[in-house]
Amino acid sequence: MSHTVLWLIPLAPLIAAALIALLGPKFLREKSHIPCVTALLTSFVCSLVLLIQLVPQGFGNHGHNTAVLASGYDFLTVGSLRTTISLSADAMTAIMLSMVTGVSSLVALFAAGYMHGDKGYARFFAEVSLFVFSMCLLVLADNFVMLFIGWEAVGLCSYLLIGFWFQKPSAAAAAKKAFVVNRIGDFGLLLGIFLIWTTFGSVSFADVLGHPEKITEIATANPGLITTICLLLFLGAAGKSAQFPLHVWLPDAMEGPTPVSALIHAATMVTAGVYLVARCTPLFIASPEAQITVAVIGGITALLAALIALTQNDLKRVLAYSTVSQLAYLFIGLGAAAGLESATPAVSAAMFHLFTHAFFKALLFLAAGSVMHSMGDVIDMRRFGGLRKVLPVTHWTFLCGALALAGFPLLSGFWSKDEILGVLSEAGHHPVHGGVFVVLYWTASVTALLTAFYTFRAYFMTFWGPEKFPEEAGHHPHDASSIMAWPLRILAVAAIVIGGVVGPTGFFGHYLHHTQGFPESGPHTLHFGVMILSGFLAMAGIALAWFLYVKSPSIPGQLATSVHPLYALSYHRFYLDEIYLALIVSPLRLIAKLAGLFDTVVIAGIVGAVSRIPQIISVIPRSLHHGLVPSYAMVMFVSVIAGLLYVISYLR
Amino acid sequence: MTGEVERYLVIAAGMFILGAIGFLTRRNLILIFLSAELMMHGIGLTFVTFGRMHFSNEGQVMNILALTVAACEAGFGLALILGLFQLTRSLDIELWTDLRELDLPAPVSPDDLTSIELPEEQKFPTLTPAGRLPEIPKRPVVIKRNSTTPKT
Repeated sequence: MSHTVLWLIPLAPLIAAALIALLGPKFLREKSHIPCVTALLTSFVCSLVLLIQLVPQGFGNHGHNTAVLASGYDFLTVGSLRTTISLSADAMTAIMLSMVTGVSSLVALFAAGYMHGDKGYARFFAEVSLFVFSMCLLVLADNFVMLFIGWEAVGLCSYLLIGFWFQKPSAAAAAKKAFVVNRIGDFGLLLGIFLIWTTFGSVSFADVLGHPEKITEIATANPGLITTICLLLFLGAAGKSAQFPLHVWLPDAMEGPTPVSALIHAATMVTAGVYLVARCTPLFIASPEAQITVAVIGGITALLAALIALTQNDLKRVLAYSTVSQLAYLFIGLGAAAGLESATPAVSAAMFHLFTHAFFKALLFLAAGSVMHSMGDVIDMRRFGGLRKVLPVTHWTFLCGALALAGFPLLSGFWSKDEILGVLSEAGHHPVHGGVFVVLYWTASVTALLTAFYTFRAYFMTFWGPEKFPEEAGHHPHDASSIMAWPLRILAVAAIVIGGVVGPTGFFGHYLHHTQGFPESGPHTLHFGVMILSGFLAMAGIALAWFLYVKSPSIPGQLATSVHPLYALSYHRFYLDEIYLALIVSPLRLIAKLAGLFDTVVIAGIVGAVSRIPQIISVIPRSLHHGLVPSYAMVMFVSVIAGLLYVISYLR
Repeated sequence: MTGEVERYLVIAAGMFILGAIGFLTRRNLILIFLSAELMMHGIGLTFVTFGRMHFSNEGQVMNILALTVAACEAGFGLALILGLFQLTRSLDIELWTDLRELDLPAPVSPDDLTSIELPEEQKFPTLTPAGRLPEIPKRPVVIKRNSTTPKT
C-alpha cells in the first residue's frame, strides 16, 4: 500500500482549494472549476485504488484487519496527550471515501454548469474543494483530535457555502443558524473527546477502539462512564446530522446554492455524525442505554421530519426534511445494535443505507437544482407544474431518485431500507429491549410509507398536472445543459443499480466486516417478510400520492381545511422554531441586552472616569507647550547641560 | 605647549557659547541657522585641538566629515527656510508655532500681522516627461515676398 495514494486523497482537493483561492479571481475566472474537478477526480481514483487494495484476501473470512496507516508529524503534545497528523484507512473509511469523492466529483461537474455566470464562481469552487479536503480529513482521521479538526472544518465550509449569497439576509441568517446549532453539538463532541482521553489515556482510534476487552472492563467497573461518553459523542453526531432537538438548521441550510445542498446537506457532511457513531461502535456496544437513546432519537426524528415534509411547498425543503428523516433512519439502524447478538449487521445496514442514500439524495437535489435553474430560481411547487415534457432529462432522473428514495422494489433505497427494517425486526426479539424495537420497527415502517408519499407528492406536483411556469422562467424554459445532464444520468444509474449490486450479494456487508474493532457476526441474511411489507408500503405511498395529486387534485385542499390544526402543525414544522425562539433565543437576547446596558453604564463609566485623570494632571505642563522654537531649544540646552553636569559629578 | 592648546579650546568654547546665545535669542531663521553653524564649528575646532593634543589625525578626519555633512545640511536647511519664506514672506520664527497645544493662544496675535499680496506665479520652462512626445511649438516661418508684381 503506497502512502502516496493515501496522502493524495485529502491533499489534492486542498491544493486545488489553495490554487483557486489564489489564482481564481484574477486568472482562472470562468475556468475555476477545472482544478476543482481534476482534484476531486484524482481523489476519487485514489479512493478506488484504496478500496481495492485494502482487503485483498477475499471476502467472507472475518480477519482482524488492521488499518493502513500513514503517519505524519506530531501535531500536539501536551503532557500525556500526544496527537499526530496521520491518516488511517480501513474498510469503513474506504467506503466513505469512495462515496464522498465520487459524489462530490459529479456535483462539482454539475455545479460548473449550474453556477455559470455567478460573481463568486471562483470562490464557490475554492470552498467546495476545501470542503472535500475537510471531509476526507475527517474520514481518514487516525485519532479523535484530527477527526474533530475535520469536523470543525466541514462545519466552517458548510457555513461559508450556506451563506454563499451573503447579500441575501435570509442566507446570512441561515448560515449563522447552522453554525450556532452545530456549535452545541460540537461542544458535546469535544467533551466526549476529553472524557475519552481521561478514561483511556489516548485519543487514537487504534488505542481506544482496538481493544474491546479493555472497554468491557471499564464498562463493568463504571457503567455510567461509557454511557456518558457515548451520549456526548451522540450529541455531536446529532448536531452534525440534524437529529431531533438540533435538526432545525438543516432545512434552513437550503438557502445555499443547490449543488451545495446536494453535496453537503444531503450526501456527505450530514453523514459525518452517522460515521462517528458507526466508527465508535466498539464503545456503543458497551452501553445499550446509549444505543437505545440513539435509536429512539432516530425514531422521533424520522417520524417528525416525515410528517413535516408532507405539507411543505418548497421543493428543496421537502428534500431537506426527507434528508433529516433518512438520517434518522440511519441512527435507528445504528441503535438497533442493542437488540442484536452482534452489532455488525446493524452498523453495516446503517452504513449501507448511508451509501445508497448519498447517491439518490444527491441526484434528487441536483434534479431539483435543474428545475430551479430552468424556472428562474423559483422553487415553490405551487407555481410550476407539468414539467415532464419541458425538462425530460430532469424528469426521468428525478423519477429514478424518487423511486429509489421511496424504496420501490429492487432499487437502491429498497435494499438498504429493507436491511434497516430487517435489523429492527430482528432486534424486536431481544428479551430485554425488544419492546422498544418493536415500536421503532412500526415507526420506521410508517415513516417509509410517508417517505414514499411525500416524495411522490413533490414529484407529481412538479412534473405532472397542467403545464405552468412562473414568470421568472421566461418564455422558453430549457432543460439541463449537457454538463449538468451527465452527472444526473450517472447518478440516476447509480441510484437504480448500486444498491442491488452491492447489497443483496453480501458484497457490502462482507467488505465492512473488515473495519477495525467490529465484532464477529453470522452470515448475511435477507428478510423476505420485511421486504414484501416495505415494498408494499412504498407502492401504497406512491399510489396514494398519485390518487391525491394527479387523479383528484381537489382532495388535498379539502383535507387541509377539514383537519386544519393538524395541517397547520405540520406546515409550521411543529412550531419548533417558534418554541426555540421563545425558550432559548429570547431569554439569551434579554441577557445580552442587560449585559450591553451594564457595559455602557458601568464599565464605560469607570473607563471614562479613569481617562479624566491624565486630563486633570496635564493642566500645568500644557501651558509650557506654546510652540516657540527657541523655548524648546532652551529646554534642550538646559537639560543637556544638567545631564553633562550630572555625568561630570560622577567622573570625579 | 599646554598654553597653546588651551587657547584653542577657549576660542572653541567661545564660538559655541556665542552660537548658543544667538540660537536662543535670534528671531530670524537664517541667523538662527548661522548660529547653529557657529556652534558646530566650535565643536569642530575642539576636535582638531584634541586630535593635535594626542598627536593623532582622527580629530581632523572627524572634522572634515562633519564639514561634509554640514554642507549637505546647509543646502537642505536653506531650502526648507526658503520654503517657509515663500509661504509667509517673512523669516520670523514666531510665526511658526504649530506645535503648540491647540487651545493656547498664538504668541503673535493675528492683529499684529499684515497681509501682503503675493506676486503672480511665474511659469518656468519644464522638460517633457520621458517617453512622451513633446509639444513642438510652431516655428516662425519667413514668408518670402514676391518681388515681381502679379500680372494683370
